[in-house]
Amino acid sequence: MNDTTDDIADESTDDAAGTPVLRVRGLRKQYGAGEGMVRAVDGVDLDIGAAETVAVMGPSGCGKSTLLHLLGGLERPSGGQVWLQGRRIDGIGEKALARMRRTDIGFVFQSFHLMEELTAVENVELPALLAGRSPRAARERAAQLLEQVGLAERAHFLPSALSGGQRQRVALARALSNEPPLVLADEPTGNLDSAATVEVLRLFESLHRRGQTLLIVTHDARIAATADRLISMRDGAFVDETRLGGGSTGRLGALVGLED
Amino acid sequence: MGRILLVGRLAVRDLRRRRLETALLLLAIMAATTTLTLGLVLSEAAGDPYRSTREATNGPDVVAGVGRSAGLARLEELAGADGVVERGGPYPVLRARLQTSGGAWDVQAVGRRGADAPLDRPQLVRGGWVREGGVVVEAAFAAALDVGVGDRLTLDGEWFEVAGVAITAAMPPYPEAFCLLACRADGEPADTGAVAGSAREAVRNPGLLWLTEADVRGLTSDPDALGYVMNLKLADPDRAQAFVDANLRMGAQGAKGVPYLLSWQYILQESTELAQDAQVILVFGSWLLALLAVASIAVLVGGRMAEQSRRVGLLKAVGGTPGLVAAVLLAEYVVVAIVAGAAGLAAGALTAPLLTGPGTGLIGGAGTAPITVSTAGVVLAVAVAVAVAATCPPVVRAARPGTLGALAASVRPPRRVGWLIAVSARLPVPVLLAVRVAARRPRRLALTVAGIAITVSGIVVALSAGAGLAAQRLAGLYDAAQAALLGQVLFIVTLILLCLAGVNAVFLTWATVLDNRHLSALARALGATPAAMSAALAGAQVLPALAGAVLGIFPGGAVLLAVINAMNDNGNDAALPPLWQLLVVVAGTVLVVAVLTALPARLGGRRPVSRALQAEV
Amino acid sequence: MHQEVILAMLAKEPSHGYQLRARLREALGPLGEALNAGHVYVTLTRLEKAGLLAADDTDRSDRSDRSDRKVYALTPAGQQRVAEWIAEVSWPKPDLAQFHLKLITAAAAGLSDPLAILDAQRRELLRRLREAQRAAMAEPAHSDAALLLEGIVLRLQADLRWLEACEKNWTLRRNRS
Repeated sequence: MNDTTDDIADESTDDAAGTPVLRVRGLRKQYGAGEGMVRAVDGVDLDIGAAETVAVMGPSGCGKSTLLHLLGGLERPSGGQVWLQGRRIDGIGEKALARMRRTDIGFVFQSFHLMEELTAVENVELPALLAGRSPRAARERAAQLLEQVGLAERAHFLPSALSGGQRQRVALARALSNEPPLVLADEPTGNLDSAATVEVLRLFESLHRRGQTLLIVTHDARIAATADRLISMRDGAFVDETRLGGGSTGRLGALVGLED
Repeated sequence: MGRILLVGRLAVRDLRRRRLETALLLLAIMAATTTLTLGLVLSEAAGDPYRSTREATNGPDVVAGVGRSAGLARLEELAGADGVVERGGPYPVLRARLQTSGGAWDVQAVGRRGADAPLDRPQLVRGGWVREGGVVVEAAFAAALDVGVGDRLTLDGEWFEVAGVAITAAMPPYPEAFCLLACRADGEPADTGAVAGSAREAVRNPGLLWLTEADVRGLTSDPDALGYVMNLKLADPDRAQAFVDANLRMGAQGAKGVPYLLSWQYILQESTELAQDAQVILVFGSWLLALLAVASIAVLVGGRMAEQSRRVGLLKAVGGTPGLVAAVLLAEYVVVAIVAGAAGLAAGALTAPLLTGPGTGLIGGAGTAPITVSTAGVVLAVAVAVAVAATCPPVVRAARPGTLGALAASVRPPRRVGWLIAVSARLPVPVLLAVRVAARRPRRLALTVAGIAITVSGIVVALSAGAGLAAQRLAGLYDAAQAALLGQVLFIVTLILLCLAGVNAVFLTWATVLDNRHLSALARALGATPAAMSAALAGAQVLPALAGAVLGIFPGGAVLLAVINAMNDNGNDAALPPLWQLLVVVAGTVLVVAVLTALPARLGGRRPVSRALQAEV
Repeated sequence: MHQEVILAMLAKEPSHGYQLRARLREALGPLGEALNAGHVYVTLTRLEKAGLLAADDTDRSDRSDRSDRKVYALTPAGQQRVAEWIAEVSWPKPDLAQFHLKLITAAAAGLSDPLAILDAQRRELLRRLREAQRAAMAEPAHSDAALLLEGIVLRLQADLRWLEACEKNWTLRRNRS
């Protein structure tokens, strides 16, 4: 946890302690009207503190992906308020939203969403280029991130030459390109087999240890179990919340029939 | 049988599922085939109406005339020459000044008796034959004068009424008509009159009128002002030119009162000169349009094939052979091509009379040139060939991959052009995205460049032809009416070309927008603003448009002009337009493409991000 | 712990009790920590009495513990038993019926909201999953212990998925009534 305090800039220490990275009140999103109206997200309140990892779990269609898109400014809410690092972001203009996505949020998607014609390092540097960094600075940062996710030697591979787990690691590196205070992940293990899932889990755990604030929506219990806090979502609303932290139950043996 | 039914049903289903694209496809092929039909009809019209007019009016094989009554004896001699089987006339001809409310014209008034002359019985388009105080006006001239039956006019100050409007095969229609009398400004009849047309400058493009003989004689007190014209029929019409040459050689030795002679072949050539010029414009225009149609169809089909690869996989999975798959895919476009070809034929047939009908002065023939079987065949073949040429590569590509691959991969993966990606990293964000968007589809990029290059080369030729037309008019080769008509033809072809190019540009942009749905959504999720994305999508068209415009001038337009000059043997070589015009064309092209692509690009840049990202890729 | 596991470990060669414990530890990783040290010796003694293995305590080198000095070896009957065990296809039965009936009876008697029971149960399983997963990620990849932990994780995932199915069903039932 020592790294965490190092990562936070001096002048923002008060903020980090007081203001959550993400604060949501009464967030709603509905599609259609009248009889056919669907409440995809129906009055959600949420606070995520700095360096916290929160997982939102629920069956498919419960509204968790919509929630993520609302928080990332990819969709407009029908109602409610969202603060990102203390700034209201619901109702701001498209341009401001784009700027926010560029610098304050990193996205990780279920189907990776890498550009097929760009190599791993070119994919990772793209957000930095979009943010107006110099090509050299963007490339250096990208190389460093690929090193961090253990893919330095594959920097010049096209996505099609990478395994699923490797692609998602590239996507995660890309999400970190502009050092966003918040990373939003949408089913990051949804398209991965068991071994690749472990690759990505390790990466999320190490991010978590380094103090990255993370919000993961998933129905994969494995990645949800890495979170500090787990929220269950049903029919567009939060129904249960658990803090997963805490000591070992010490009863692992019982799970494999080693104890009676 | 069942298989053909299946292919047909699948093809029609798919077409109905994508109405807009089908409509655009139809439009593209139709524009090309309409123009081609017009070009071909005109080429037939250039010869046919004259022949039918000649038949209907019992046109002469040779027209002979003398400038003064002293030559009447020579005409009589000619009538008795070898090979002459029938004669009409001689009829008196008088040069006169015609005056209507609209202005004054030089005319040649021919005195005729009844309508039952053995040769050259002008066919009435409207009204009746000459009577006392009633004149018949040649159709093209009537159109130029804008007079109709019942209108009144004066000849050398005397009042006449228009009794009818007629066409003839003994004289090219106005304003190509040549002088039967030597048309000298001082009114002095030419002595030899060997080539009547050479005196054209003397009297400005005389119009042709028919009066009663008595009325003609009544217009002048000087019998020497009268000339005479006589029509001859030969035993062998094909030898008419030889007859003229032989008798002219004789006449050249004599002095005054020697008759001039004109063969029907010469009249035919004079009558159709204008039509041939228009035809060159139309045929060239239609080839350019066909090329442009190939480009737009290739884009359409290419874009659709990418979406269809899954459908192809399904067809194969249920047992379709590659041949069947190709047949299904091709059938669609062949059906569209045939429908569009037929529509183009119909449209061409409907518009052709506007250019070839009697009274427009272009041909002045009897009736419209019919659409022959060969014209229809050529047009349909071109339509189908265009569709097949544009469809084949993507069809082969779609039919070839393995069943599993086709089922799995829904979208053609984008290409990687490494150096462009590297270079673009140094550019501002919208240009960076534009270059990368454009580079993902090199084939479409090439088509964009080619389409614009074709259009611009067409514009260059049109500009050059327009300038040439003005120059020729100044030189007196065409009069105002002719130049206006040719200008109109040029304008119409250019307009169709521009429209098709415009549709093409919108098309390409929309295909790019659809193709890059995912890329735009992703770029925006990573922080690109909608404005930057829209600019990028438009830029992906504008940048190649710039390249295409430059290529369209050189080598495009320059080569095309060289080809046209090589084909035109009239010695009026067309030159490249001046530099400032070329620069305006390039700037205009870029501007127009930018404007046309702005809307689809704007729509594309602002699509909701989350839906595009959620769709599985 | 099945007696047959201890017997089978002697099939390779006669061993001391502490050697058996070390081999068990290696195979089980962090799960082996929970093993009671005496448990192996109790089992060995029981097996010796049953005539399935024979103990030889001739080696009196440095160990003071009586059981540790002994070297155990399989008897013919023990060998027979091991062969039978290897050929067996029995599989531990997860007791799902108990939880299923808990939900039904709780709902019927109005003792508790079945959805609350489900939430509590899921929390518990997720905690176990988190623990097993942490343990698995701490192990070197492809080790015997990591494989075993992967098995635990997968079973817990299956159980969680069943809870999800239960939740869907009970939500439906509640909405219908």
